[in-house]
Amino acid sequence: MSRIPSPLFNCQQATLLVERRAAAPLPVRPRVQLWAHLHLCPHCRRYALQSARLAHAARPAAEAAVPANLALPAAARARMQQLFDAHGSAQG
Amino acid sequence: MSPPVLPTPASDPQQWLARFGDELYRFALGRVADTDTAAELVQDTFVSALGALDSFRGQASERTWLFVILKRKIIDHYRREARSPFVPLDLSPEHAPEAEFFRPADGHWREEQYPADWPAAGPDQNRADLALEQQEFQEILQLCQQRLSAQQRAVFVLRFVEELPAEDICKELGLSSANYWVLVHRAKLHLRRCLEKNWLQAPTAA
Repeated sequence: MSRIPSPLFNCQQATLLVERRAAAPLPVRPRVQLWAHLHLCPHCRRYALQSARLAHAARPAAEAAVPANLALPAAARARMQQLFDAHGSAQG
Repeated sequence: MSPPVLPTPASDPQQWLARFGDELYRFALGRVADTDTAAELVQDTFVSALGALDSFRGQASERTWLFVILKRKIIDHYRREARSPFVPLDLSPEHAPEAEFFRPADGHWREEQYPADWPAAGPDQNRADLALEQQEFQEILQLCQQRLSAQQRAVFVLRFVEELPAEDICKELGLSSANYWVLVHRAKLHLRRCLEKNWLQAPTAA
């Protein structure tokens, strides 16, 4: 067990690299180390799959959370109407 | 039903609330998950738009222009949220949040934190089951997001819901690149575990 936090034997480092890899290609050395780690470690392989699934689900989940016909609450709408009325009378 | 996007040469603010109010509100609510905050962001959007009316010259549709302003307001909201309680990032390994998941001595997963296998869509699953499972997954993901720390939530939403580039998020939230990755990692670790506990453990439809 290495005390150097190399991603080769360290799941914390390896999963951090999984996140970095999703944004941009890794430099050669960490890329090879991560590849080897994932080859050996079923836990981090699972993490990698699930992390990607979370990333892909985030936007659809945000959109699905709101009913398609939901309207502004009446109180908020009334407040905003006042805003526009004030603006209108200042213009006119 | 979305209103038709017309190439309006001049803007007509008196129509904004009726034409775009609900749509802006729904967009905001998907991103901040709190009705009062979402309504406030829409109101702030209108205030800014009225104040900047001179800068709107009809190059874009009014609708597009209002959404650009709203997105800016959402980023500002997360910047305020992420700033409030200071979260130290450089703790000793034993005290870092990662120690909950990994053994500080060697960085291996703690046995009780091993990621479990998640059900994948099998060939025997019908479409209705799949849609239901998807919906459950999305609902629980939303709940789990609300349990993240303010900084983790800000980073997660701006990156994966708003899909801003990492550089922009670092600039907006005043994070170094290293801190940004630590926060993305922590957010994912927490969300993964929260989903596993609440989605997989949920009793399968009675």
